Amino acid sequence: MINEFGGIFHFLEKFLGIVGSVIYLIFSLVVVKQVNTMSKNVKDKFNGILITISYIHLLGAIVLIFLALTIL
Amino acid sequence: MTRSSDLDKVAPDDVVENKKEETLTEIKKTNNLKEKIYEIVGHTKHSLSSVLVNPDVFNFEERDNQEEILVVARPHWITNLSWILISILMILAPALLKFIPIIKDIPTKYSSLGILVWFLLTFAIIFENFLSWYFDVFIITDKRVIDIDFNNLLDKKFSEAKLSMIQDVTSRVSGLGQTMFNYGTIHIQTAAEISYITFDKVPHPEKIIKILQLLREEKEINKGEQKE
Repeated sequence: MINEFGGIFHFLEKFLGIVGSVIYLIFSLVVVKQVNTMSKNVKDKFNGILITISYIHLLGAIVLIFLALTIL
Repeated sequence: MTRSSDLDKVAPDDVVENKKEETLTEIKKTNNLKEKIYEIVGHTKHSLSSVLVNPDVFNFEERDNQEEILVVARPHWITNLSWILISILMILAPALLKFIPIIKDIPTKYSSLGILVWFLLTFAIIFENFLSWYFDVFIITDKRVIDIDFNNLLDKKFSEAKLSMIQDVTSRVSGLGQTMFNYGTIHIQTAAEISYITFDKVPHPEKIIKILQLLREEKEINKGEQKE
């Protein structure tokens, strides 16, 4: 009974972790898209840096999915 | 034969010279205008400044080829203070959690994943707030005033009014923070379809109003000259 409960808990934990990471990945994709749109509209010195940062953020979100799959 | 070819060469050249003169006068006028604006605001050219005068790099999508950007203003830097303080607290929070005994019992794999999520969220908050400030610009060109707002990541607002359409400009500085750091809201009433353009938290509103007044006067002088 305890083992069964533990199994369900572990499954839920992994499932929620992965769903959360995927939602975060979608959010970071929106950020990349939006930074690109903003940079097209308003061009200034730091636009290139901001676009790079948004891609680094996207990379972080991908790492999060990988970790959710392996650690949880 | 020789005469006709000479005529071909001379006649168009006369027109070009006139055009050159007109262009030179236009350039002189714009330079004078820039000098006057520099006198009002001072020389600020750093891309992270709240007020940029005659920026070298700055541009925007809806700009005409002939249009000259004179002033670019962003909300006063002090308006960023609240999210900067929150971000610092968020960055320090994981270090402070070590002092709570229950946290120590959490397995390392969960705590490390939790810390990664926490820092990603902190980063997202910092980045979003910075973008909202950086891309929220109020632009004054030699032809119009433009307000570009990105209220959040999914909402863009673009409003513009020609200088000749501006009817009334008012500013409001209210509250302790705004009075101390000299920033406030500028309302521009226009005769265009968009009856109001509002720019919030603009630094030195009195200087921006002076610039708008100067540009409107220049426009009226130009109109008078054209009529004559």
